[in-house]
Amino acid sequence: MALKSAIRNLRNNPYLLFVRLPNLLSLLCIVVGVVWLLLLPLNEYSRRTYISENALLPGQVHAYFTGSEQNIFRGYKKELEGLLNDGQARGGQKDEAEVTAAVSDKLQSILQAAGLKVATQKYEYTSAGITHQGENTYAIIHAPRGDATEAIVLVAPWMTADDKLNLNGVTLALTLARYFKRWSLWSKDIIFLITPDSKSGTQAWIDAYHDMHPASVQSLPLKSGALQGALVIEYPLEHRFQTLHIVYDGVNGQLPNLDLFNTAVAIAGGQMGIGANLQEMWGHDDSYKHRLQTMFRGMTKQGLGYATGAHSSFMPYHIDAITLQTKGEGWEDEMALGRTIESLCRSLNNLLEHLHQSFFFYLLMQSNRFVSIGTYLPSAMLIAGNFTLMAIALWMRTGYYPETKPAEPKDGKTDVAEPKDMKVSVEAKTINIAERQLALPLSLVAGLHLLGLVPLWVFNNIFHQYFTTTTYIFVVVGIILPLILAAILSHGLGLSKPIVPQQYHLIKSFSLLLLGLSLSTLATLNFSLSFMIGLLCAPLSFVTRVQSSAPVRLATSSLGLVLLNLLSPPTVLLGVCGYMGVSVEEVLTQAAFGWDVWGLESGVVALDMAHNYKGCKE
Amino acid sequence: MALLFRFLQAFALLLLASAVAAEHTSNWAVLVSTSRFWFNYRHLANVLSLYRTVKRLGIPDSQIILMLPDDMACNPRNAFPGTVYSNADRAVDLYGDNIEVDYRGYEVTVENFIRLLTDRLDEDVPRSKRLGSDAGSNVLVYMTGHGGDQFLKFQDAEEIGAWDLADAFGQMWEKKRYHELLFMIDTCQANTMYTHFYSPNIVATGSSEIDQSSYSHHADNDVGVAVIDRWTYYVLEFLETQVTSVTSKLNLGDLFDSYDESKIHSQPGVRWDLFPGGEQEGRLRTVVDFFGNVQNVEVENANATEPGSLKEDLAEIARLVERWQKRDEEYSAILGNSAQNSTEDLHSSTLNLKPKTTVGPSKMAEDNGWGKRLVGASVVGACTAIWVAGSILGRSSV
Repeated sequence: MALKSAIRNLRNNPYLLFVRLPNLLSLLCIVVGVVWLLLLPLNEYSRRTYISENALLPGQVHAYFTGSEQNIFRGYKKELEGLLNDGQARGGQKDEAEVTAAVSDKLQSILQAAGLKVATQKYEYTSAGITHQGENTYAIIHAPRGDATEAIVLVAPWMTADDKLNLNGVTLALTLARYFKRWSLWSKDIIFLITPDSKSGTQAWIDAYHDMHPASVQSLPLKSGALQGALVIEYPLEHRFQTLHIVYDGVNGQLPNLDLFNTAVAIAGGQMGIGANLQEMWGHDDSYKHRLQTMFRGMTKQGLGYATGAHSSFMPYHIDAITLQTKGEGWEDEMALGRTIESLCRSLNNLLEHLHQSFFFYLLMQSNRFVSIGTYLPSAMLIAGNFTLMAIALWMRTGYYPETKPAEPKDGKTDVAEPKDMKVSVEAKTINIAERQLALPLSLVAGLHLLGLVPLWVFNNIFHQYFTTTTYIFVVVGIILPLILAAILSHGLGLSKPIVPQQYHLIKSFSLLLLGLSLSTLATLNFSLSFMIGLLCAPLSFVTRVQSSAPVRLATSSLGLVLLNLLSPPTVLLGVCGYMGVSVEEVLTQAAFGWDVWGLESGVVALDMAHNYKGCKE
Repeated sequence: MALLFRFLQAFALLLLASAVAAEHTSNWAVLVSTSRFWFNYRHLANVLSLYRTVKRLGIPDSQIILMLPDDMACNPRNAFPGTVYSNADRAVDLYGDNIEVDYRGYEVTVENFIRLLTDRLDEDVPRSKRLGSDAGSNVLVYMTGHGGDQFLKFQDAEEIGAWDLADAFGQMWEKKRYHELLFMIDTCQANTMYTHFYSPNIVATGSSEIDQSSYSHHADNDVGVAVIDRWTYYVLEFLETQVTSVTSKLNLGDLFDSYDESKIHSQPGVRWDLFPGGEQEGRLRTVVDFFGNVQNVEVENANATEPGSLKEDLAEIARLVERWQKRDEEYSAILGNSAQNSTEDLHSSTLNLKPKTTVGPSKMAEDNGWGKRLVGASVVGACTAIWVAGSILGRSSV
């Protein structure tokens, strides 16, 4: 009975139904969403990783890459070292192009001598006024008894993702090329790719491999079958290493199949006895705190969606790839890394079809613990749902209450007072249904979102020197533009008649609806980005016109304005850069490079978000 | 004459003796692996190991149906091209030079398997792909692959259910396609596969109970895959070390007693209830009854004891032979004075007996001889008349 009367009360109390309840529900959605995420690292909500693909058989083969191969490694290394020193000595300063030209010849001759087919590819990218150019060298081992329809890629960039010289990595790739050539058990071709850097080289190569390259990138003279997996070798240290760091984040938050990561962990940790780490968590003690931290680091990388290594470029082509980085000082030498890669290649060689058994959407919180999309998705969905909920509530509110705001509570109270004539009161309300004036709100929301294209175009087309200034300009514009807009809207300024409250609600409703829709779609593709934007936008749900005396109103609205401006994307960008100690210019150069080269899209989303804010202010 | 009697006597005794031992006249083996792909190397190795064993114990290739869905020997991932091993010591190449695969690759399907068992094959299917067993054949059916509760997966595409298999065996029994059948299966939840069998004379054994996995025994670190399953490994160990020749007297009881759950890591099961005499009788069947090749002569109704059966007849013949021998001696004693040269007794006695023997057989033929011939002729005549009439009618209708 109590429930029934509560429902009846609800129906008869529109203020409760359209204002209080949505606010409550939205808040609940956000709180539950955040708490949900915080629960994930617990044992009850996360799972242990397991190898899902039977064909992989990780660590079941004995790796024979030892002994005499080490002498060959040393020989190659000496040759390459000499060439690098020569180049540096002659040029005085490090002239990269010259070094790679000389070294590239050496690489080719070594690979050719090992009996591989060798080819090169020149490329050039221009982004934010900076030119990135270089020459990829690659060689193919054709599977002696295979049918040449599939291939595995081993990548060794000259410069690691952290811009360190990867001499050991490149040398190891050469040694492995010679070593693998002598095995007859490959069912797939093996491609060895030596790129000048970790960012543009692999991208140019993989684009050209699929004939998707721009004009500034050469086509590949030599190709093989469909790529099944890629491993990147990074060994920038000059001493023995302690553990392997497995980097798996791809561009735009895409991830490689979990089986590939698991196989690497199983082989490195289980077979070779080298520990495997992820997300730069060195002293992971498997506590809740460390798990959460690992997960957040993964989410940040996924949300920002930038390339974390040479492997990231493979992801858009649905090629599973990881980078193996050597870290720390310990007992493991290049042969141990070589054996790990040999064993990994044997596992990949066992594959019968593309990796598909395990998850593509997951959050890792330890090298052997993860949550899959089914478990974590509700979190971002709830946060996205709060906007949709609010939008629907606002839409309904505009239909029922044209301009009787102050009367609202009173209406509600009278209804409560006479619950017997419920039908009468409902009828009385339906009479109140007002026509919605959609033209202004729709065009305003659409126009403001389209305005988002301006910063996108500007940031991707100006030179990097002007990035910082431009950012500040956008911050200022971001503060002023909404105020001007609000003034125009509320006072008309002779251009149109002043806006009615219904239209405020409709503007807010539309932008929230759009936000909710795009966030819930995004959540399935890039959970972390959706979650982060959702949290940043959360206050938008609760911004309303304040109904009270002038001074209080002024105080609260200016407070709200400050808060919203603080949370607006340019300010957040500046804030995070200031906190992390990186220059805005660098970050934006990266972002522009990402847009130009990797097809990075998270920036667009962020900029679009800015305009949601503007639409919702006041 | 006496030589003939002695021969008959010896023959009768021989028949009586053989009627007590195994009564089947041929041995057939159907060895099936149902999984393809490199990582299922061990399933093919299981089957090939068993193939070696039954061949060693004498079943010829023509009586072994070997079904291999994949070619591990020629897989590019095989570090030892052209070979298949079931042990990491790689002592025996199972894929050596003497191997006949009857169904390979995509020919290994549920349909083909059931058609093979029930002999519902097209006319143009060669003999090598047919199970030519009959009512006197002991059939060994061995299956391995990936299975679950009451099913066994074939080739990643389809599966055979426990009822399908039971019906296939049921039909085999109705069509007199086996005398006794030993069904062995090595897969996860293997014992569920024989729960529905209903036709008699089947002994069934499996590697694991319901909800239990069957495990691989060990992997070869150079081949890079598991090479044999546990249950099969220990069955083979028994067969290879204990059943060393076709004369082995070890019986099924010994084989099943050799199961060691701590080694197999699952609970193997045996089903006796379909076998006449149940476990007690079943245990007495020797291992080579199913794994070896035993060639007995077929004698109908060999072990029946009711009047008019073979045993009775043989006993009667033996008595008859004895009586005749006695009479023969009497005759020779009577005629002893006329024929004094007793050293050439055999030849002379038969010669002397010749004129007198007309009394016996000639009389038997006398009665109703012509009448019977008449009946026979009329029957033949009637049949001919029917045939002639039928052919004429048939022609006219066409």
